[in-house]
Amino acid sequence: MESFHLGIWSSLIIVTAFSFLVIFLDGYVVKPWRERRWRRLAESGDKEAQELLRIAKSAKVSEE
Amino acid sequence: MALDYEVPQDKRVLYWLGDKLIDYSTPVSIVVVLVTLLFAYWGAQLHLVTSFSDLLPQDHEYIKIHNRFSASFGGANNIMIMLEVKDGTIFTPENLNKIWRMTQGLDKVYGVNHNQIDSIAHRTVRYLKVAAGGTMNAVPVMNGEVQTEDEANNIRRSVHNAENIYGLLVSLDDKAALIRANFIEGKLDYSRIFSEVNENAVDPFQDANTTIYVAGEPRLYGWVYQYTGDVFFILVVTWCIEWLLRWMYFHDWRGALRPTITGVIAAAWGFGFIHLIGLALDPLMLVMPFLITARAVSHAIQMHDRYYEEFEKSGWHKRRAIVASFAELFVPMLSGISTDAFGVLVILLVPVVMLQKLAITASWWILAITISEMLLNPIVYYYLKPPEPELVLMRERGGFRRGINRFVGALLTRTGMTVTIVAWVAATALAVYFVRDLTIGDPTSASPLLFLDSPYNISHKRIQDKFGGVEPLIVVAEGYDRDAMKEPKMLQRMEEFQRTLERDPAIGYSFSLADIIRAVNMVFHELEPKWGVIPNSWVDVGSLFFIYFSGSPPTETAKYVDPSYTTAHVTFYCKDHKGENIRRIIHRCKQFIYQSQTKDLGLTLQEQGGKVVIAAVANDVQWEKAGPSWVVSEHQTGETPFRVGDAITALGKNQVTDLESFKQAINKQTASKTLVDFALERGGTKVEETVVVPWKAAFKLAGGLIGTLAAANEELVKNDALMNFLGFFTMWMIMLFTYRSFAAGLYLLAPLALANIMVNAYMAVMGIGVNIHTLPLVTVGLGFGIDYGLYIVSRTIEEIRVRGDLRDSVREALETSGKAVTFTAVTMVISTVFWTTSNIRFNAEMGLLLAIWMAISYVGSQTLTPVLIVLLKPRFITREANRAPKLTTMHAKAVAR
Repeated sequence: MESFHLGIWSSLIIVTAFSFLVIFLDGYVVKPWRERRWRRLAESGDKEAQELLRIAKSAKVSEE
Repeated sequence: MALDYEVPQDKRVLYWLGDKLIDYSTPVSIVVVLVTLLFAYWGAQLHLVTSFSDLLPQDHEYIKIHNRFSASFGGANNIMIMLEVKDGTIFTPENLNKIWRMTQGLDKVYGVNHNQIDSIAHRTVRYLKVAAGGTMNAVPVMNGEVQTEDEANNIRRSVHNAENIYGLLVSLDDKAALIRANFIEGKLDYSRIFSEVNENAVDPFQDANTTIYVAGEPRLYGWVYQYTGDVFFILVVTWCIEWLLRWMYFHDWRGALRPTITGVIAAAWGFGFIHLIGLALDPLMLVMPFLITARAVSHAIQMHDRYYEEFEKSGWHKRRAIVASFAELFVPMLSGISTDAFGVLVILLVPVVMLQKLAITASWWILAITISEMLLNPIVYYYLKPPEPELVLMRERGGFRRGINRFVGALLTRTGMTVTIVAWVAATALAVYFVRDLTIGDPTSASPLLFLDSPYNISHKRIQDKFGGVEPLIVVAEGYDRDAMKEPKMLQRMEEFQRTLERDPAIGYSFSLADIIRAVNMVFHELEPKWGVIPNSWVDVGSLFFIYFSGSPPTETAKYVDPSYTTAHVTFYCKDHKGENIRRIIHRCKQFIYQSQTKDLGLTLQEQGGKVVIAAVANDVQWEKAGPSWVVSEHQTGETPFRVGDAITALGKNQVTDLESFKQAINKQTASKTLVDFALERGGTKVEETVVVPWKAAFKLAGGLIGTLAAANEELVKNDALMNFLGFFTMWMIMLFTYRSFAAGLYLLAPLALANIMVNAYMAVMGIGVNIHTLPLVTVGLGFGIDYGLYIVSRTIEEIRVRGDLRDSVREALETSGKAVTFTAVTMVISTVFWTTSNIRFNAEMGLLLAIWMAISYVGSQTLTPVLIVLLKPRFITREANRAPKLTTMHAKAVAR
């Protein structure tokens, strides 16, 4: 604890940077990985994964 | 877009409102953003300030006395600096010069009361010097820096012969000297005082042979301010962990962001409002903003979870999902926010300005969640891209959901319900056993604000060990007339008071005018110990005071007695400020005052059949008539206004029913006048006797740190139970309106009440007392647990309307809302538990305490409440069975799935 000397601005910079890091990881790393994983499962014959992907593919998202 | 789809009839208005918020999203957003920016601007101007007077119950009689006399006789804000040498004594030129420079340095610190510095190197600390020809003068112990060993030896001799210095400002082994300074309450800048004391009186004077210890309230708060930087570390860590957890829970960055928006907006409104009402941030209350922000975030998590659920139910229709989640969670969320906000308002009952401001602030802040969460929520979702359907589907089949389902399955079996009831009964019995040790005030001698091994507590203990007691309790002796303090009987009474109270193990030593007069009398009689007594004559006392005080200006003598000799004080230096010790000392003070008053009146009183009856009348107190009044006579008159067997029914306008009311009445009657009207019952007839009390001054409690703490503790004792009751009553009332049921509140408050007992038991076991700092946090915690239960019960009612079966509905509620509640509780517990890393012990303990509180409340809402609902089948839920409005196609599909 003694070695930490965070102030208000340094704290804000860290939390903002961390939040953007999470957004980046979510969009470009974790989501694609998760989708690949479910596809692999479906291809390997997992019934639940196949059903899920079927529902997801047939889903039509309406914004209004 | 109009509501062109079917919605539940009873919530049609809420659906309409949610829809309209989306229609008017742009103007509403602009208004909220502008107001938030304004509040953020005000919030940015906040400073960390602790206002000492705000911490005191200003209407309490002790505080009134403290406020009247603290400027002259010393307040509660003293700094003690002890210089201690390892080898040799302090009486060397080098060490005495250090004390001199330290004292001069301390005199330059901002806010110090220049006339209330006690040190052998300060002009106000004097000893009697007999000069050639027999003249005597009270001269300062040190007049400047010491050059030779001879000068140092002379100072040692002077100190050893001065009863007001030796043992009080110089330790009995000559190895330590104490410098005590009082600070003006209106000028308490703790950070500045901390650094200036270090620069002027500590850092330059420490070496291998010299250690300097600093204690006292301004120093304590100074240390607290030094550690406030911890808050940023905690902010960063909790933010990052919370983001990670929410991201993992929602499988989407929007799930991490959405609650953050709610928290940030609520925080801006909260901080801005604090500045707006002229309040500052107290470093000891920094847990509170975290806690309230965590509440805002937890409501947002509930909403986000429901949004995902409705998104799937509505056939991936974003707008319908937004409106449905808003409408369906509106009632439990508003009830949750209202119980939190109005529950906190009960703190207003405690007549302490700081707590009252805190109650208003916290209440407003919590209410701001209605804007940041409820009003803005549909708009934020509308602007954000909807989640991908596969994400929502995968999430519902994740490990967390499966774990919740398994737990719910086990809970609602016969065995599960039996285990739940038995476990809660056993835990409550254990808590009731331990809660008896809960103390009001501080349970330890060290400051509970900092850790035991902190530099402050080490210094405090060392000074206490060396000088026996440094925390003052000031009892004012206020005379009815000038020169009252020259009255030998008055001085003897003060001395008697000192000797009586010094028998208490928590009193280190005491000081009063009587000590000065005895010391001066002895010096006047060539240091013959037998003359170390209070003279019997008024003239002798006056002469001795003249000798001692004649060379000193009134500003210097005012700390002992006022210039007209009307008012003085007896100061008891206590060894600690434990709540139980303060209570006992104050009780003994009151007991002494009562006994001395009845002794002077020649009365022995006892309670008999609900009356205060005169059991004996002393022969040595003689009375005579002076006009319509009775006065004490120096001659044998054989007359008395009192008879054995008389019942005292009133003193003036104050009714007397027992000894306690007599004590209060006589103190009130004689506070500023000597005439007392006794209403007596004598042989069945009423008699009135007016008596002139024989004492010259009234003792008045109480100033100094101990006096102010006693007042705060008394107010807490008076209001603690009432606050708890009103807190629960407020929540019960809100439940009554929410569910239109008297029983609903009982089901929801039961786990809270048990959590309350368990947390109080934990406080008792861990040695955490209820004091002015812990009280608001504990009260806020009281209401925070109810949200969990609200979401479960509301969802159960929602489900039973469709499903008809109670157990099935409870299961569904626990698997859906319960899942979000579980996640919310986990994140809230984590965010508060991180406060345990704080260097401020108070914040660390409060963080842990609130985390435990929320954890117990959560467990109660997930186990006890549903089990009680299933077992007792409350009507406010079962009456809703199969009363759902006609299902739309969308709902039918969802139920079928």
